Amino acid sequence: MTEVDNRAIAITGMGAISAFGEGAEALWSGLREGRSGIRPLRHERAADLRVRIAAQVPESFDPAAHFGERALPMLDRASQFALYAANEAVAQSGLDFAAGGLGGRTGVVIGTGVGGETTQDEQSRRLYAENATRLHPLTIVRLMINAPASQISMAHGLRGPSFAVASACASTNHAIAQAALMIRAGLIDVAVAGGTEACLSYGALRAWEAMRVLADDTCRPFSGNRRGLVLGEGAGVFVLESMAHARARGANILGVLAGVGMSADAGDIVAPDPAGSGSAMAQALADAGLAPEDIDYINAHGTGTPANDPTETRAIHAVFGAHAPKLAVSSTKSMHGHALGASGALELVAVLGAMRDGVVPPTANLDVADPACDLDYVPNQPRELKVRAALSNSFAFGGLNAVLAVRAA
Amino acid sequence: MTEPQSIDAIRDQVFAIIAKQAKIDVATIRNESTLKDLGVASLDAIEVIFDIEEHFDIHFPDQGTNFDTDTVQHLIDAVVAAQAAGGEGGAQ
Repeated sequence: MTEVDNRAIAITGMGAISAFGEGAEALWSGLREGRSGIRPLRHERAADLRVRIAAQVPESFDPAAHFGERALPMLDRASQFALYAANEAVAQSGLDFAAGGLGGRTGVVIGTGVGGETTQDEQSRRLYAENATRLHPLTIVRLMINAPASQISMAHGLRGPSFAVASACASTNHAIAQAALMIRAGLIDVAVAGGTEACLSYGALRAWEAMRVLADDTCRPFSGNRRGLVLGEGAGVFVLESMAHARARGANILGVLAGVGMSADAGDIVAPDPAGSGSAMAQALADAGLAPEDIDYINAHGTGTPANDPTETRAIHAVFGAHAPKLAVSSTKSMHGHALGASGALELVAVLGAMRDGVVPPTANLDVADPACDLDYVPNQPRELKVRAALSNSFAFGGLNAVLAVRAA
Repeated sequence: MTEPQSIDAIRDQVFAIIAKQAKIDVATIRNESTLKDLGVASLDAIEVIFDIEEHFDIHFPDQGTNFDTDTVQHLIDAVVAAQAAGGEGGAQ
């Protein structure tokens, strides 16, 4: 017990912003009710685009209501999301970083696929379309991929090791793993970690169109009529603490990050390999000291592409064997969309919510059976289920996999 | 877009694009070959589609086609259909 406890990390705060609006509770209540955040695309060039739908942070999000006049010009939309979510998570944790030098023993690790994409896109438009020769002076500090981590560190006085982690759609899970490993190593007592993405620029949308992986109707993970992924955006940020630190201050522990597993397919740049994703799941279990039978729920990567869903299903079978059919497996991307580098963060909110409320969020829009997807995907209706422990899967383009193992406090 | 081209002319151009992308002899391509048969997998297939779209200034539908397993004949048919659909280069 003591040995396991030294490896376990307490999650004591969470914050999020998503297609369901502001706050982790808004996200979780949407997911637990099986509601969809996917809407017609809002974009100034929507009429020109073939992308028709997305899971975007609602227009009601007003950055000026959350950030000061001096801070705002430095904040790309990706940093706005990250800072919003971090503020919420820190407030929930009840930590005072100014007291006792805690800020010096706290790090920030934020995953993002592309960082300040909308800043880059807008400045490129000025440069090439308008032939401007002068760009906004804060262009660099807005678009740099570490900006979200830096802004959180500055806002809260966090002076420990802080940096960005990039692994496309697995960025959040890799970031949380780095934070957890630093806490285990004794480098820091606390980490503010998660992921953010806000990359629905004209250029990025056109690039996604060219890749031909986007659904035109909705996101239907594991369904025989799935037509691809639906892009999303948002952020989720968590406060992680060593178990000793959390217990010593009597913190309310939302869940225990028990283990992490990471691997690379080292194969195709986009086609997923069940050996790679399976290895990450198996490592997460082993790192957590959990047996397959201990897991009740898997929040799947579940993108809704033809390639991912059967491959992920095969990987789960390979790792879980006879226990696989007993697992509840759901893809909440069917509701919050694929927020890319932030998706693992939105999905960790779903896992912690499921553990707290004893309700597993469904896979929405699953209405046609696919023989290659034969697990229990909790189709369309949320399910009451006590979740003792869960995995959260993220598998990125580039063949980079990161899995979190979480258990109830 | 200019005049619709003959089917033979379209076929020759599609074959040439595939041969270049797959780095194979054009003589090895048959109408009934699939891109997969020709060793053109996943992302390479998307590049072939892109090259064909650029070459003919057309746009293939996003859905309903599995480029890995569709035949070269289907690609030729799709070019013919896209050209017949109008001269706006398949503008969206």
